[in-house]
Amino acid sequence: MERARSIIGRYPEKRSAVMPLLYLAQHEEGRLTDDGMRLVAELTDLTAAQVQAVATFYTMYKRDDVGRYLVSVCTSISCMLLGGEDVLAAIEDESGVPDGETGDDGLVSVEHVECIGACGGAPAVQVNYELVEGVTPENGRKLCRWLLDGRPRVVTGDEMQELFGGQRSFDWGPAERDGAVGPVPAFGPYGTAEEV
Amino acid sequence: MKILTERMEAHRTDSHTLARYRDTGGYESLRKALFEMTPEAVHEEVKASNIRGRGGAGFPTGVKWGFLGKAEPRYLVVNADESEPGTFKDRQLLERDPHQLLEGMIISAYALGVDLAFVYIRGEYPRPARRVQRAVDEAYEAGLLGPDVMGSGFGLDVVVHLGAGAYICGEETALLNSLEGKRGEPRIKPPFPAVEGLYAKPTIVNNVETLSNVPWMIRHGGAAYDAIGPEGSKGTRLFSLSGHVERPGNYEIEMGLTWREFIYDIGGGIPGGREIKTWIPGGASAPWLLPEHLDEPVTIDDAGRLDTMLGSGAVVVMDETTNVVHAALSIVRFFSHESCGQCTPCREGTTWMQRILERILAGEGRQMDLDLLLDISDNISPGLRWPPAMTTICPLGPSAVSPITSIMRHFRDEVEAMIPGVAAGV
Amino acid sequence: MSERVTITVDGEEREVPAGELLIKAAQDTGTYIPRFCWHPRMKPVGMCRMCLVEVEGPRGRQLTTSCTMPVSDGMVVHTESDVVTKAQEGVLEFLLINHPLDCPVCDRGGECPLQDQTMSYGPGESRFVEEKRHFEKPIPISDLVMLDRERCILCARCTRFSEEISGDPLIEFKERGNGTQVLTFPGEPFASYFSGNTVQICPVGALTATPYRFRARPWDLEAVESTCPHCSVGCRISVQASQNQVLRFLGVDNGPTNQSWLCDKGRFGFEYLNSDERLGTPLVRGDDGELHEASWGEALDAAAAALSAVVDAHGADAVAGIGGARSTNEEAYLFGKLLRSRIGTPHLDAQLDDGLDPRFLAGVEPRATIDDLERAAAVLVWAPDLKEELPVLYLRVRRAAQELGAKLVVVHPRATGLDDVAGHVVRYRAGHGADVLRRLAAGEGDLADARAALGEGPVVAIVGRTGLTEDPALAEAVAAFARDLPDAALMPATRRSNVYGALDMGLSPALLPGRASAYDDGARAALAEHWGELPGGAGRDTAGIVDGLRQGVLKAVVLLGADPARDVPDGSGGAALEAAETVVAIDLFRTASVEQADVVLPALGFSEVEGTVTNLEGRVQKVNRLLPGTGQSRAAWEILEDLARRLGGSLGATSAEAIAKEIEAVAPAYGGISWDRLDWGDGREGVVAPAGEGSQPLGFVPVAGDLGTPPDGTTLHLARTLYDHGTVVRRGPSLAKLAPEPALFVHPDDAGPLGVEEGVTAWISGGSGRAELPVRFDRSLAPGTVYLPFNLGVTVGTDPAVTVAAAEGAA
Repeated sequence: MERARSIIGRYPEKRSAVMPLLYLAQHEEGRLTDDGMRLVAELTDLTAAQVQAVATFYTMYKRDDVGRYLVSVCTSISCMLLGGEDVLAAIEDESGVPDGETGDDGLVSVEHVECIGACGGAPAVQVNYELVEGVTPENGRKLCRWLLDGRPRVVTGDEMQELFGGQRSFDWGPAERDGAVGPVPAFGPYGTAEEV
Repeated sequence: MKILTERMEAHRTDSHTLARYRDTGGYESLRKALFEMTPEAVHEEVKASNIRGRGGAGFPTGVKWGFLGKAEPRYLVVNADESEPGTFKDRQLLERDPHQLLEGMIISAYALGVDLAFVYIRGEYPRPARRVQRAVDEAYEAGLLGPDVMGSGFGLDVVVHLGAGAYICGEETALLNSLEGKRGEPRIKPPFPAVEGLYAKPTIVNNVETLSNVPWMIRHGGAAYDAIGPEGSKGTRLFSLSGHVERPGNYEIEMGLTWREFIYDIGGGIPGGREIKTWIPGGASAPWLLPEHLDEPVTIDDAGRLDTMLGSGAVVVMDETTNVVHAALSIVRFFSHESCGQCTPCREGTTWMQRILERILAGEGRQMDLDLLLDISDNISPGLRWPPAMTTICPLGPSAVSPITSIMRHFRDEVEAMIPGVAAGV
Repeated sequence: MSERVTITVDGEEREVPAGELLIKAAQDTGTYIPRFCWHPRMKPVGMCRMCLVEVEGPRGRQLTTSCTMPVSDGMVVHTESDVVTKAQEGVLEFLLINHPLDCPVCDRGGECPLQDQTMSYGPGESRFVEEKRHFEKPIPISDLVMLDRERCILCARCTRFSEEISGDPLIEFKERGNGTQVLTFPGEPFASYFSGNTVQICPVGALTATPYRFRARPWDLEAVESTCPHCSVGCRISVQASQNQVLRFLGVDNGPTNQSWLCDKGRFGFEYLNSDERLGTPLVRGDDGELHEASWGEALDAAAAALSAVVDAHGADAVAGIGGARSTNEEAYLFGKLLRSRIGTPHLDAQLDDGLDPRFLAGVEPRATIDDLERAAAVLVWAPDLKEELPVLYLRVRRAAQELGAKLVVVHPRATGLDDVAGHVVRYRAGHGADVLRRLAAGEGDLADARAALGEGPVVAIVGRTGLTEDPALAEAVAAFARDLPDAALMPATRRSNVYGALDMGLSPALLPGRASAYDDGARAALAEHWGELPGGAGRDTAGIVDGLRQGVLKAVVLLGADPARDVPDGSGGAALEAAETVVAIDLFRTASVEQADVVLPALGFSEVEGTVTNLEGRVQKVNRLLPGTGQSRAAWEILEDLARRLGGSLGATSAEAIAKEIEAVAPAYGGISWDRLDWGDGREGVVAPAGEGSQPLGFVPVAGDLGTPPDGTTLHLARTLYDHGTVVRRGPSLAKLAPEPALFVHPDDAGPLGVEEGVTAWISGGSGRAELPVRFDRSLAPGTVYLPFNLGVTVGTDPAVTVAAAEGAA
């Protein structure tokens, strides 16, 4: 609640806090529930229907059950040209989770996504929005196993890139310590990032 | 000539830190602006640079600033919602040199009379967002942000805001709606954001790369910037090269070189010695170019002459093995997925085209589908000309038309070959 | 807007108002541009793209939406070029590819803009062979509205209405792109008082009204334009019927009043007219004490005989009349004429002791029109919760504050519908208004800002009793304060139907027809010229009549569409009728009061008679006849005329229009307001009385009187909700279920001291009653105040001082 109030305080108008608060609600509950949307509505003086209108517009708010690891495989043009669809198929096969679904154990969700800005490192994959570039189908499988067997608490792009990545869009520079602990982008001010 | 990427190339481990930034001349432009220049003088330098916006539309930045309304408060919003397929340049600027952007923002805010600025970063970019937030935190600590920047009396606050998965929010009015906590639906223009933007107040929305150029301009003068590159395509430009090329990546280049030089000399050509079939010169929205255009110069105006654009600076190369229907489908599907849904032709038309392409790809196309695709396109973008006319509110719908016209004009035989009856010569 | 510019539409020069939207300018000068999303009363969004036209510019002809393009001088527009035609056909095709085309089973079929435009502009057959979008077929999104998302063309009219106009955005877009749909939030239905408007403005059959679904096809409907009978705003409506049954009301766009909108009570409140419980035969109480059917002759004879007997035995002033507020002006006028000139009694009242001084309501000066809100710099609302009692006036105030920038000050004992758009919300403890008024007038302390907001005119002050425990003198004192605000105009607010018309017709001991004072000798003499001698002595109002009946001073009462047994707020009406020797009731239903009558005369109701009504701004409008009515029911004026003939002579009424002509001649403020003018002349938006300069004899200047001392302890706020147990709501199946359960609302901070909790049962004991009710918490209440909704079957009287305690064994 304190975090919510501090987020609201960042903006000249309360309503602007809707999107960050939706992330916060999703982070708290693992997905965006009706109760979560209702709470955001209360905090921003909107109706729940108005909050729902916003939440459902953006693809990163997940209203259905979503796994601890959300694996997003890019299939937009550059990744598609370099085999993104094969990477997706490999990940679906290895995880046993079809595109758009979540495994029974609640560990992994798999989705294909539109461009995630990693075209120079195609094909690209994100796990909880942490990026790994230059992924081959084979490395996609290894990434799945790493998630399913190793169950890392915090996921960072740098670690995955080291383990499963290839061609990068550009030199990333030094590694980041902050990472994601669930299917919400890891960002300090929203309270969604944790150190490895 | 490197303006944007010099520091990050020279200092791979710490180009994003305040210490390194200052150590390499950072925030000296800000000092110069605050203590030696009036806001109007800063604006004049930006105007003199003749820089055109790097987000895709290519509108002269200095002119845009000139439209800013006088009402208060005013806002500056950085468009870091980079989402156009093929584009990943801003990500590098955000991650590797966030202070360069921040300094550009502070200088611009000073010029524009803004005391609150936002950086709207796409939600899929948490790493860039963290780097920018850390830079903002450092800047506050160092007195570069806050109520009294560098003791000048000028104050600025910066809020980093994450999007949540919607390409359309790269359209500036959709971005403002999103920042207001609404659905990211583009607004009807006019009024333009410079007059009625965020919270209906005068607002300037500039791209990351555009603002990242500002510190250099202030240090060296707008005229120095204007001296770089050919007429109408001033300054350096960060191009994103991807697809079937040997060396994909971001390249900061002076415009005016040829496509052949860019794709083959800089990009290393096509892997495996294969032939180039076509390429997209400026992001997924742009009509495609052909091998016969390889010796055309890479400039904004030359691209326009060829009925396409440099757009967001994303070059996607396709080699001879590419199934163009598959490629077009990928792009049309992207725009259908990203259509906000408010206006009819885009909401219905992009999805309809996607489904027809899917049918053709699945071997269930009909001869009439080819003309139908073109006619649906025509109902989104009447006349199928460039720059596109629109029956829509924003250019997203017409963007989905580009791959259709590209394959129909240049590869119609390949498409027809996928229609069962036609393939069999029936 | 008076500046005009010249534009060229399809080669033809037109003069149009500068800055007007092209789509409207074109339409007003003869060129209809097709559209779905644009609505003249809402902001343009340019979403559907149907209204694309070509406008010539420096870069050649540009396609643009005419709904978002303001005209400018010299603009050259093409609405029928090949490019435009192709674009519009394209849009229509896009809209149709996912439309189910189930017109034969769609309520909208026959009056559907999508269907009509497909016929006019659309392609012959579909090129779309893919599977259409599918959604669950119509789902109820409220008790009154069904949503079919497959038919929806996503024009956002409904979502914009609820956000922009009514301020309750419970219906919204969901998802995006091709998956976009309109929907409510789970568990939060579209429970808006204004939901029916979205059905009316839906350009397809996506939103349908439960009360109308599958009831008729548009081509089977007969229609007549009329004025909504439900409250004193007087919204313009189209009454539509088939086979002698009213099937729906639609809003008609009357600029000065409803601007096309209706509240749901108005829109769906017609069902009572079709009720099986309507009286169809006169009734006379027999020797067995029961009401028995009788012929008109028998019933009228019985009524006349009973009244004559009272007059003979006790004098004419032992008779009284209550009612007329639900009648037409013509009926009300004749009622007054019967009582005063034939029976000869001064005791008559159209109010039920729930309003304000009749002279204030009828004659306050300067008086505001609703349309003054369009120009107001500031608006003061110290009145009933407009959303509950005068819903469309609420919409107009909302618009003034939200769209037009008026500074709004709302003063009320608890939250009102306007609070979210008000710049200043002042809450006060019920019964303690006098002190708030004093502090507001002085701009003291926390009220300084509110006072400052009222410092710039024009100011419109909407003034009435916030609730039924409030001293009417407070409203007058508020009016006295507001009158001195810059460029101020006053709107006295009380809700009941045609009460302003009835008062204008003299149905008050203080008033004569045409806003003349009953205490003015000149006015009395002038009226006597037409009516003959008028009764002298002080007349009694409803409270006085009830009192007189109970004390046996009065012996008989004639009721005209009035139900004092239920509606007199302190609950004393039933006992009064019980005490009366004779009760003659003219009504549509066997109300609680009718059950106590000796003679019951069934009257025709709304849409069954023609006449005029007068709204709260004094606007006179027509109501029109479409239906024959139930059984042997007769027009009230005919009943009154026949009764008069049996009581000493005809009232000279030969038709409703003849009465209207007499009103014109007799009632000074109504001079020149003829039916012809209202139907065919310059009066189609209604004519605000007084119609001529200097024709209003009564100029009432409110004064701040002695407001007494506020009560100690817990005080009661007693106020109406839109849906209650009144005749209209109770006898309409669609609305009846919407009336809330009675409850006692308590501020959580008061709960402890009172010893009650949310959900428990509490006793409330008031001036004339005691009731046991569940407690609900209401944080918006001023401390020390409890709130009880009126007319939900629970009465504790109208004294502000009450005691509240937990019921035994409750806590």
